[in-house]
Amino acid sequence: MSEFFQFMFIGLGNGAVYAMIGLGLVIIYRATGIINFAQGEMAMFATFFVWTLTEVGLPLPVALLGGMLGGAIVGTLVHQFVVRPVGNPHEKPLAVVIVTIGLFLGFNALAQLIWGTEGKVVKPLFGNGEFNIAGVPIDHQKVGALAVLALEAALFYLLFKKTKIGLAMRAVASNSESSGLCGVPVNRILMIGWALAGAIGAVAGTFMAPISALDANLMQGPLIFAFAAITLGGFDSFVGAVVGGLAIGVLTDVVPKYVTFVDKMPLAPAFVAILIVLLVRPEGLFGTKKVARV
Amino acid sequence: MSAPSNAAPSNTAPSNTVAARALRWGPLAVFLILLIVLPLQLDKVWVNKITLWIPLAVAALGLNLLTGYNGQISIGHGALCGFGAYATALMINEWELPFLVAILLGSVFCFAVGVAIGLPALRIKGLYLALVTLSFATLFPQLIEQFSSFTGGTTGLAVTSPQEFRGAIRDREIKFQAPEWSGLADDQWRYFLFLALAAGCFVIVANVARSRVGRSLVAIRDNEVAAEVSGVNVATAKVFTFGISAALAGISGGMIAVYNARVTSGSFGLALSLAILVAVVLGGSATTMGPALGAISVSVFETVIKPELPKDFLGSIDLQPATPLILGVLLIISVLVAPGGTVGSWHHLLERLSHRSPSPTEAPNPSE
Repeated sequence: MSEFFQFMFIGLGNGAVYAMIGLGLVIIYRATGIINFAQGEMAMFATFFVWTLTEVGLPLPVALLGGMLGGAIVGTLVHQFVVRPVGNPHEKPLAVVIVTIGLFLGFNALAQLIWGTEGKVVKPLFGNGEFNIAGVPIDHQKVGALAVLALEAALFYLLFKKTKIGLAMRAVASNSESSGLCGVPVNRILMIGWALAGAIGAVAGTFMAPISALDANLMQGPLIFAFAAITLGGFDSFVGAVVGGLAIGVLTDVVPKYVTFVDKMPLAPAFVAILIVLLVRPEGLFGTKKVARV
Repeated sequence: MSAPSNAAPSNTAPSNTVAARALRWGPLAVFLILLIVLPLQLDKVWVNKITLWIPLAVAALGLNLLTGYNGQISIGHGALCGFGAYATALMINEWELPFLVAILLGSVFCFAVGVAIGLPALRIKGLYLALVTLSFATLFPQLIEQFSSFTGGTTGLAVTSPQEFRGAIRDREIKFQAPEWSGLADDQWRYFLFLALAAGCFVIVANVARSRVGRSLVAIRDNEVAAEVSGVNVATAKVFTFGISAALAGISGGMIAVYNARVTSGSFGLALSLAILVAVVLGGSATTMGPALGAISVSVFETVIKPELPKDFLGSIDLQPATPLILGVLLIISVLVAPGGTVGSWHHLLERLSHRSPSPTEAPNPSE
């Protein structure tokens, strides 16, 4: 039984990272209606900023802040020069998919060009120690990931519910044309959304990198888990991203340990979750139901 | 809809039409001649290298039918190629089928897989379908490793046939042997076999796309409800398209399997799926020859340009990853500037040159 709890806590810790990527995906989805297939690669890129700053000699927490700034700049540039010119994602889903796939290829290759293909070592933000609760060892890093996720979720809540920018972001998400007519600077608000998503990617990547070495393919697996998380939670729900992320984390770490049929396929539970949710309840657990007028 | 309204537009001078026709068909003719003449002139290594554009073109043809004409986005066609490749490899190994038969049976198997995927895809649309198929593309290599007892896992599965070797009959990697009457080298023979198979696929798809079925696919892409009320059986058409598209991917996968004489889980991951998508977009989605042009450009990047790039540029910079970067940038530029890809842009250019209003990709507008 203690083994089960150990797997579950590992799952929760990993799930916190999926939830962070998921939060970035949800911000972008709410703001621009885009499922950003390049979110993972943007996060990987920002994580390389973090690594570079630690190589220069900065302590990891400071480097992380620098990486978040770098990620925010990347997000802003992507929105201004790539995503905005494409136009409405609901009218042209294929164009949006292709552009984000182009970003995916581009960031992946650019990271290899700049930083090479050899894996880099990023130290865990909360050290290598572990707690011991009733015989179950739990890494500081996993507890730290959960704490950081809670902090991020709280900050997002405050931002969206208590600030003017948050209000403007909600207005743009609900109806960008009308909010533009009311004087909301729509483009600047969308830009802030992409910047936030880019910044949060650096955090997710910094937690992911110590698990596997930091290379250009760092986030390809976690991105699929994050997709599963926001599908389960609902594409436009922050609560959903958190709950979904933790659920998918537990699911993918616990199920393959006990079900021998999928022991080499950690992606399988996530894929099945995506498929079932989209078929049975496309709005997810906490998402807004879509009503289409024909 | 009277007959005279379908006649050639009167504002086009005859000389102009001849010129326009030459511009329309000329590049195609040059292109086809190059495809046949080049492998006869190049040496063995190059024939080997350029053969690989053909399976990519067939997979892109399948994706173009599904995504370009029908609007169902798939980023998972690499996995469908994988199903075809493993089916072909297993049938050659276990049942000792000739490889052409195995490839065709593999594509029938993939048709069934495509229909099975197409059914849930009826409820999952647009970006969400892209998400599901992308996840599937990432899952596929893990699936192969899970069943490594008969797929060979990461080390792969050799595609063999019983051959005479040192006086005994043993299972050896399959080989292509050119018949004597052809006067071709073995590699050239393989190239032309693949080319013939691909040409057959292209002709069939081109005819389907121009038919009533093809128009109904485009109608579904542009407005599903309107297509439905116009009498198109949307569900059947979409599922059937998924099946045909998967069957083409299966043929492509079968070709890859017999070309390498080995199938490995790594060959059919996300990278292949993305390469197929890039080929469709760069060549021109919803065009006849677009997938072929796109596949050629992608393979030129991957097999010709990439190995030539220095690994130690300015001392330590490995420039080989530059090719996906260029492809990614081209992809974005193509969407922003030339949504029709190479073929679409060419048609657009021809239109502007000849000042004609109806585009060649659209049905002629009867003037009322």
